[in-house]
Amino acid sequence: MKRRQYVIGITALAATFVIFVLPFIFILLNASKTSQDSAALDFSLPDRWVFFENLIAVVQARDYILLLAYWNSTLITVCSVALMVIFGAMVGYILQRRHSAWNKVIFGFVLAGLMIPPAVVPTIWLLQQIGLFKTIHGMILIQCAYGLSFSVLLFRQFIGTIPRDLDEAARIDGASPLQIFFRVILPLLKPVTVTVIVVQSITVFNDFTHPLYYLPGRENVTVQLTLYNFQSQFVSQMNLLFMNILLVTIPPLIVFLFFNRQIVAGMTAGAVKG
Amino acid sequence: MARVELHDIRKSFGKVEVIHGIDLTIEDGEFCVFVGPSGCGKSTLLRIISGLEEQTSGRIEIDGRDVGNLEPVERDIAMVFQSYALYPHLTVGENIGFGLSLARKPKAEIAEAVNRVAETLQLGHLLDRRPKELSGGQRQRVAIGRAIVRDPKVFLFDEPLSNLDAALRSQMRIELTDLHAQLGSTMIYVTHDQVEAMTMADKIVVLKDGAIEQVGTPMELYDKPATPFVAGFIGSPKMNLFDGDVAAQKGCEVYGIRPEHIRLTDDGDWHGRVRLVERLGADTIVHAEMETFGPMIIRTDGQSELREGREIRAAPMPEREFRFGKS
Repeated sequence: MKRRQYVIGITALAATFVIFVLPFIFILLNASKTSQDSAALDFSLPDRWVFFENLIAVVQARDYILLLAYWNSTLITVCSVALMVIFGAMVGYILQRRHSAWNKVIFGFVLAGLMIPPAVVPTIWLLQQIGLFKTIHGMILIQCAYGLSFSVLLFRQFIGTIPRDLDEAARIDGASPLQIFFRVILPLLKPVTVTVIVVQSITVFNDFTHPLYYLPGRENVTVQLTLYNFQSQFVSQMNLLFMNILLVTIPPLIVFLFFNRQIVAGMTAGAVKG
Repeated sequence: MARVELHDIRKSFGKVEVIHGIDLTIEDGEFCVFVGPSGCGKSTLLRIISGLEEQTSGRIEIDGRDVGNLEPVERDIAMVFQSYALYPHLTVGENIGFGLSLARKPKAEIAEAVNRVAETLQLGHLLDRRPKELSGGQRQRVAIGRAIVRDPKVFLFDEPLSNLDAALRSQMRIELTDLHAQLGSTMIYVTHDQVEAMTMADKIVVLKDGAIEQVGTPMELYDKPATPFVAGFIGSPKMNLFDGDVAAQKGCEVYGIRPEHIRLTDDGDWHGRVRLVERLGADTIVHAEMETFGPMIIRTDGQSELREGREIRAAPMPEREFRFGKS
C-alpha cells in the first residue's frame, strides 16, 4: 500500500511538472534569448543572456503601451470584481433568505447567465446604442455581467450556512435590512469573498477575447492584448513575446500566491461556527 | 416593565393553522413559561410576541399599546435565542453593545452600559474575546447581556438552556431566576423541559397543538391538572395514566396517579411484579408490571431493597388520585 502511494505521488508530481513547470521554464528561457536565438523556438539555453535588455525593450515598446495596458487591466479588474462581490452577495442573500414566487424566476436568470453563451454582435450593438462601446466602464459592466452568475451561486451557497438566528438577533437589536446585510452578514462572508475575488480577478485580468471585441482602440489596450505587439504576419519577435507573456502572467500569480493563505485561513475560520 | 396581553392570536402557514386563537395575559414583572411538546406552537407564539413572525389575526398589547404591526425594536423587547445567535465577527463587548451602536448612542455611553452589564453577568474579563473563544455557559451569558443592556420592557427566551449540559443548565436556571428577581422585568420563557418550567415560573402556560391546555402556577398545575395531557406533562417521572377498563372501574374516562403518590405496603390492594429498578440515590424509581393496570411507575425512597422480579403490593395515597372526564 505504501509503495503504491509513493508511486502515485511521484507520478502526479511528474505530471504536474510537465504540465505546469516545463512551459514556464520554456517561456523563461526564450525570454532571455536574443531575437535570432528565440526564432528557433527550441528548449536550449540562450547563447547570450539578454533578460534585462528584453525586459526594457518590452516595457518601452510602442511608447510604453504596456504600462497603459497594466493600468487599464487593473482598473477593469478592480472595479468589475468589486461590483461582482457587492451585487453577488446582495442577490445571493436575498435569494437564500427571502422566499417568494419570484425566487425561481430570478434563479432561472442566474443559471441562464451561466449556461447561455454570450453573443458578441448583439452585445456590441447594444453597447453602441447606450454609448458604452469602446469605453472602460462599458467593459467593466460586461465583465461584471459575465461573472455575476457564478458569484451569486457561490454567495448564495455560503449564506445558507449562516444561521438565520443571526439575522433575527440583529433585527431584534434594531438593525434595518441594509444594516443586517452590511454589519452582520457581509463580514461573515469573508472566506467566500476571497474565493470570488481570486477566481474572478484572475479570469478578468487574463481575459483576451472580450477586450478584443468590446474594447478596440489604442488607448483602451489591456495586458493580454499587448501580446499582439510582437507578433504579426511578417515579423515576430519571439523573445519579446515571451518576455511579454512573462510580465502579464506575473500579477495573477502574485494574487494567487498572496491569497492562497487567506483562502485556507478563511475556510478553517468558517468551518468552526462561533 | 410591562403587561403583555394576547387577544385571539391566530397563525397560519399556508393553509395550515398552527396557533388556534390564544388569549393570554402576562402580568407586569411575571416570569411566564410556555411549555409543551415539540410542534405545539410555543416558539411560534414567542416569535409572534417578538415581532419576528406576524400573526394572521388577533391583537398583541404591551403595556396597553397595540404592538401587532410594529417592528421588533419598536416593541421594546429583547430576545435570547437557543443557538445564542452571537455575531461571530464581533467581540463580546461589541456583541453586547451592538443594539446601542445601531441606535447611534455615544461611544462613552455604550462603553458604560456594556461594562455595567458585564459586571452583572461576570463577563468583565471576557469583553475582548470572540464568541468562539467562549464556553457554552459564557456564550449564553453574553446572549443574556445583549438582551439586558437595552433595558427592555419584556424579555423573551427561546429555549435558552437546551444547548448546555445538565450541571450548567441547573446553574443557569438559578442565575436566570436571580436575574429576574434583580431586574423585576416581565419575562416570557419557552421550554420543552418541565423541570425548567416548574423551577423558574411564576406562571406556566401549557400548550398543545397550538392551543392553551392550562394556565396556572407550577403547584396549581401539579396539584390540579385540568386534563390528562397536563397531568402527564407536569411532574417527573410522569403520572401513571390509565384509560379503558381500569378507568371505567374508577368511574372516569382517564384515571391518573403520580409515581410519588403510590405507597408500597403489604396490605395494598394492587399487586404486581418489579420489572426494573432505577436507583437515583435519594429516590428509587420502580417500573412494575401490575395485574389490573399493566405497566406502572412507582417512586419510593432511596434505601429500598427492591429487586427485579420481586412481588409487590401497593396502594394509592388518599386524596391524591386523579379522575378525568373525557379529555
